[in-house]
Amino acid sequence: MQLVEKIIKGERAAIAKAITLVESSRENDKKESRKLISELLNKPGKSIRVGFSGPPGVGKSTFIESFGRYLVEKNYKLGILAIDPSSQITGGSILGDKTRMIEISKNPNTFIRSTPSRGSLGGISIGTREASIILDAAGYDFIFIETVGVGQSETMATNLVDIFSLIVGPGSGDELQGIKKGITEYADIFIVNKNDGDLKSEASKTASDYKSAISFYKKSNDTADKEVLLVSAIEQTGMEKVIETIQNIVSQNKKNKNFDDRRAKQFTYWIEEEVKEIIQFKIQKKIKADSSISQLSQKVMDGKIQMFEAIEAITENLQNK
Amino acid sequence: MKTKNIDNYTKWQKSFERETKIDLNEASSETDEGIEIKPVYTKADIENLSFVDNDSLPGQLPYTRGPKASMYTNRPWTIRQYAGFSTAEESNDFYKKNLKSGQKGLSVAFDLPTHRGYDSDDDLVMGDVGKAGVAIDTVEDMKILFNDIPLDQMSVSMTMNGAVLPVLSSFIVAGEEQNVNQNLLSGTIQNDILKEFMVRNTYIYPPDPSMKIVADIIEFTSKEMPKFNSISISGYHMQEAGADNVLELAYTLADGMEYVRAALSKGLDIDDFAPRLSFFFAIGTDFFMEIAKLRAARTLWYKIMKDFGAKNEKSLILRTHCQTSGVSLTEKDPYNNIIRTSYEALSAILGGTQSLHTNSFDEAIALPTDESARIARNTQLILQNETGVTNTVDPLAGSYFIESLTDELSKKAWEVIEEIESIGGMTKAVKAGVPKLKIEESATKKQAKVDSGSRVVVGVNKFKNPKEPKVDVRVIDNNRVRDDQIKKINDVKASRDQKAVDESLAKLVTAAKEGSNLLARSIDAIKNRATVGEVSKALEQVYGRHFATSLSVSGVYGKHFEGDEDFMNVTKKVNIFEKENGRRPRVLVVKMGQDGHDRGAKIVATSFADMGFDVDMGPLFQSPKDVAKDAIENDVHAIGVSTLAAGHKTLVPELMKSLKEIDPKSKIIVFVGGVIPEQDYNFLYKNNISAIFGPGSNIIESAEKVIDLISDKIHKNN
Repeated sequence: MQLVEKIIKGERAAIAKAITLVESSRENDKKESRKLISELLNKPGKSIRVGFSGPPGVGKSTFIESFGRYLVEKNYKLGILAIDPSSQITGGSILGDKTRMIEISKNPNTFIRSTPSRGSLGGISIGTREASIILDAAGYDFIFIETVGVGQSETMATNLVDIFSLIVGPGSGDELQGIKKGITEYADIFIVNKNDGDLKSEASKTASDYKSAISFYKKSNDTADKEVLLVSAIEQTGMEKVIETIQNIVSQNKKNKNFDDRRAKQFTYWIEEEVKEIIQFKIQKKIKADSSISQLSQKVMDGKIQMFEAIEAITENLQNK
Repeated sequence: MKTKNIDNYTKWQKSFERETKIDLNEASSETDEGIEIKPVYTKADIENLSFVDNDSLPGQLPYTRGPKASMYTNRPWTIRQYAGFSTAEESNDFYKKNLKSGQKGLSVAFDLPTHRGYDSDDDLVMGDVGKAGVAIDTVEDMKILFNDIPLDQMSVSMTMNGAVLPVLSSFIVAGEEQNVNQNLLSGTIQNDILKEFMVRNTYIYPPDPSMKIVADIIEFTSKEMPKFNSISISGYHMQEAGADNVLELAYTLADGMEYVRAALSKGLDIDDFAPRLSFFFAIGTDFFMEIAKLRAARTLWYKIMKDFGAKNEKSLILRTHCQTSGVSLTEKDPYNNIIRTSYEALSAILGGTQSLHTNSFDEAIALPTDESARIARNTQLILQNETGVTNTVDPLAGSYFIESLTDELSKKAWEVIEEIESIGGMTKAVKAGVPKLKIEESATKKQAKVDSGSRVVVGVNKFKNPKEPKVDVRVIDNNRVRDDQIKKINDVKASRDQKAVDESLAKLVTAAKEGSNLLARSIDAIKNRATVGEVSKALEQVYGRHFATSLSVSGVYGKHFEGDEDFMNVTKKVNIFEKENGRRPRVLVVKMGQDGHDRGAKIVATSFADMGFDVDMGPLFQSPKDVAKDAIENDVHAIGVSTLAAGHKTLVPELMKSLKEIDPKSKIIVFVGGVIPEQDYNFLYKNNISAIFGPGSNIIESAEKVIDLISDKIHKNN
């Protein structure tokens, strides 16, 4: 496949077209996409995939700009997949992350793709996993996946990235109890941003709140410890500590096989999801074509049969088809 | 109300309802500001006013009726036309011509690279040199600009905010080298950085150091330049960016309060600098509202300054320059602009402005020609000499409607000011992006009203001219200007004492680190022939360059079109497109070069998104190369280039080239919107531009055209 070669060569336009393909909702494209991804999986790169999530306004994109600048200066190749929410009403979206990634978006060693979420849950959009496989094959050292919103991002935490980090702002420690419990469990790194100017002492306090909160999650010796880091995206401070931590966690997890285990689990989950989707698609087609459903539901309405009887009859019917 | 009045009113109401067949309660209209405008006003409307004092006279507190007792009866307002034409030589010619034909002060427009602190030879500004104003790289350019214009006699106004230090320094040194001492220089420097962060985007440094620079200038001028206005606190650009009059008024005054605090923090006494604070407002087409705005501005400023403890009467009085609205001008049926500008000028005068710029009718298309500039100036000369408007001070005083409107506007603005103060003042509000977002929301609403036809713009959405007239416009050879400037920079650099330059720049850096006054240091550097770019870069080492983050409103545009057929038609097309193509039509909206006017780009982005497009927003100040990378990585169907500063002739072809460089087979459609003279259309089409949308284009129609173009392209390729 010509496209595969172009991706591996790192041709920008080819990578972009491939991502469009894996994001497409058209059935034909989906088949092509599966073919493409199968081929690319045979030619894996060496990327480390890092997820960045956090509530709106904490400076995720600004952090990525700042951290990314630090990385590209050290000659790393950086792929960024940024997911922006789509409007619930119109379905359209404004993809504005790049307005906050001014310097790195110019750099030839970056590839930055924004994707509308199109209403999918988990802060992840359709095709994000596949897009990261494309960038991996294209030779990017790091793939950052940026998502909005916290609470539904566990899916990403466990199923899409090697390291999941949560970006928070000063003063967010108070909200720790309750709502973010899930996410604090899944996050590997907590990045307290805005450690600058008037907010410095507040940021330190927030960091210690998080430190005491994660002390509950310390597990057995074979997993890497969760880390809490203080950074300032606008002053570009604390960046070397972030990359150090990422590399430490990766090497520790690789040593004790956690790294591969996690990827293996993700792979299983992915296959399950794909199978579900295909079956669901087929069943939906059958359901649409099945005229007995409306007849049976009419019978339920008329009180001629019970609802559960109708459901059983329909299910059996569909299975036999 | 007295019984007789009540009686009269009841009678009037009956007649009104009989004539109109409308219930009086439903006969009011609502302005953009959310102010109710009634069909009739009575004495009752001016009893119990909150801010306006009906017994006050002109020149008396709270100065609603004017800063001076005699106003235009003694001396009419100053005709001050803003102009700058690419090179110092051309601008100098233009100024001298204008001074001969009756203009009293002059006003300098700088080109975009100068605003942003870049020299003309900087690669970043390739397409911007000489665009929208004059390029100033060194004091030599400034000297040419004022050649044969005696600076001790001529008041000079300079629109400069970002690179305010090197530019003001160049002006001071140019004066000195004309043997005019700085204490004799008169005029105004805009020096209003807060509104740059809100709307105009020609800042250089982050908000905090930028505010320090403002305070440094106020400090220096209050001591050394007694005839010079240290700041022109400007609402103009807010209205141009779409702010309604309440927002313009409130944010401008809130900016003023922030500057007062910055100067006070330098240890200055308020009465030492407050008399030299001046203001600048836009005058749009809402005739009475604009009059009320100027009256309300003086009323509120008096209150604000009294609360600050000012004692000198001059500190309490708001003096203002006004300019007719550029955004009210249309590309369609352009001679209508002469008429619009005339009414706007009349508003400004009835409101009591101290000086006025009237726009040329062709400014929606290009920089003015000699002929259109003459008509613009004559608009004011006719008002001064033929209409009798100068014979009576504040002639509308006592009008039930005007007084009530003045008070209403004051009340609304005061609420907004209190809101900003509760955030902790304007610097904090700007950092949080609050005013920017509010202004964008207001802009989007206004645009939606025009596009939906609920607001009539003659010649645009109603009474269209079947035979659009052809208008001659001024053409600028951008490349020639740039080459000339580069040569001049090289000459200066070859003949200057490099060691002295380096030393004075190092001292400037030290001053920035220590926090001492920067203007004195930058005057030294400029005197040694350091360039504008070098001075700016020296400070950039300490402060960094500011990049704005950009928030966007959504849903505001679409809300005005619920059930609108054309709107639904586009959303339907978008949905069909998504089914056929597996994704929504995706458009990258960009600005390129140093042009920071992003109102148009923002409105296009939010309205397209409201119609269901996926819209990528590019950051400001992108190069064509950056845009191409961005577009290709995101595999967009189309790029929309918004251009308001005449950069399209260099930047757009550059973009087309960059796209092909990254992807020789690129199928991306490029369309252009903004201020583009018709004679450039062919040039752009030849460069494979698919569509051009001039000012006043209907956005829904534009969106439909874009999706059709995208669909056609896809079909052709299949």
